[in-house]
Amino acid sequence: MGVESRMLRPKTNDRKKVARFRFTRLFLLLFLFVVLLLVLLSSTSGSRFGVFHQITLEALGPIQTVFTRISINTIRLKDKYIALWNLQEEIDQLRKELDNYHAQLDEYREAYSRNRFLEAELEFKKHETFPALMARVVGKDPSFWFKTLIVDRGENDGVVTGMVARNSHGVVGQVVQVSDNYSKILLANAPSSAIDAIVQKSRVRGILKGADRQGYILQYVLKNADVKVGDVVVTAGIGGVFPQGITLGTVSRVRSKRRGMFLEIEVEPAVDFGRLEFLYINLSEEQLVIDKLSRTSSSAGE
Amino acid sequence: MVVLIFFLLGFLLIAIQTTFFHYFPNWLGRPDLSFILLVFSGYKFSWLPGLLLAFLLGWLMDVTSGVFPGTYLLLVLTVFSIVKFLSQNSSVKETIFQIPLVGVSYFIVQCCFYLFFSVTQPGILPPWSWSRIVQETLILLVASIPCFVFFNWMYEKITTRRLASRRLKRSGGNQFRQMKR
Repeated sequence: MGVESRMLRPKTNDRKKVARFRFTRLFLLLFLFVVLLLVLLSSTSGSRFGVFHQITLEALGPIQTVFTRISINTIRLKDKYIALWNLQEEIDQLRKELDNYHAQLDEYREAYSRNRFLEAELEFKKHETFPALMARVVGKDPSFWFKTLIVDRGENDGVVTGMVARNSHGVVGQVVQVSDNYSKILLANAPSSAIDAIVQKSRVRGILKGADRQGYILQYVLKNADVKVGDVVVTAGIGGVFPQGITLGTVSRVRSKRRGMFLEIEVEPAVDFGRLEFLYINLSEEQLVIDKLSRTSSSAGE
Repeated sequence: MVVLIFFLLGFLLIAIQTTFFHYFPNWLGRPDLSFILLVFSGYKFSWLPGLLLAFLLGWLMDVTSGVFPGTYLLLVLTVFSIVKFLSQNSSVKETIFQIPLVGVSYFIVQCCFYLFFSVTQPGILPPWSWSRIVQETLILLVASIPCFVFFNWMYEKITTRRLASRRLKRSGGNQFRQMKR
């Protein structure tokens, strides 16, 4: 018994302590609640914020500001993203439209340049004195050694060998072979071609030889002749094949070597041989007569 | 029949060469497709049909190119004869040599062509240009691969069809009756 009583004593003491602690805590909480209630009631009177409200608001304000900013920025970002998404679609659509406009523009440009070209050709045909037969280029020489063209006009249209082909820019070449409906034209820039030419300004004469990619070379012009870059070279009209004064090209380079008595003159062709589409064949009777004469002489020889 | 079809093909090729190819940029060149056809005929055709085809091709080239009729005819017949001779009497007939031979023969032909004209008609051709000849040869080599495949396919197609029709003709009549007897 003595031992049991000793064991129970501390337990009762603990219980008392716990109960006292609980009571103190409850009292404190109640006190705090009452104080807070009183503070709240006193601070809300007169619809004004009291000190505590103000402190609370001051503390809350920055956090709210940060959160608001974050949310606003997020919304903006979202809006921007959606706008970008829409914008991408719009860009794609605009690009397509732009492509279409570019294609249309190309067509208009082509039509415009073609119109200008045809206008120039028509003007040329109107003012030209020789009987011109318009011919379309249907084929070009497949080998790179020769410079010939095939046009859709032949003997049935009055074309004979030796006739001169021209366009509004100048001399294109000469008819070398003819069939009923087509003819072959040797271009003036072929190395086998040679035209009697003069420099328009100084009236210096020479032989204009074809030089393939270089254009022409004006040969047999003496070193003391007055020839400068930019001078226009025209046909001399000697020999009766080419009429006088048809543009051949412009002097692009003049070289005078130590040796020899002639200048080396490069001439840039007036005609763009790479882009020939149409040309005119001179149907003048002179060439017909020459052709007939050559035919009769060859048949007499046989 | 084969010659006629290949002649028509050559006709088309030359028409293409003289029209479409001139719109190509310079670096792409203008491969001489008729020359590839010529070398192909040297490999595949026997002497007589091959010579006939070469003659027709040369004729076409003479019409469309140059100013001296007969030049291409002579050139084409010579090339055909040499290629035919080589393909019959040497290992060149192997498939592996076919494409390089097109390039080599083209290069030699250009050299001979230039030499011939510089002797007979000096000053009629533009100056010799190594870069241009090499470029054209390389372009021709590249073009000859699909061309050879196509020509070969066409040749096989025509010849097999012809053989099949011949067999059918030979085995004509009532076969069932013949078997009974």
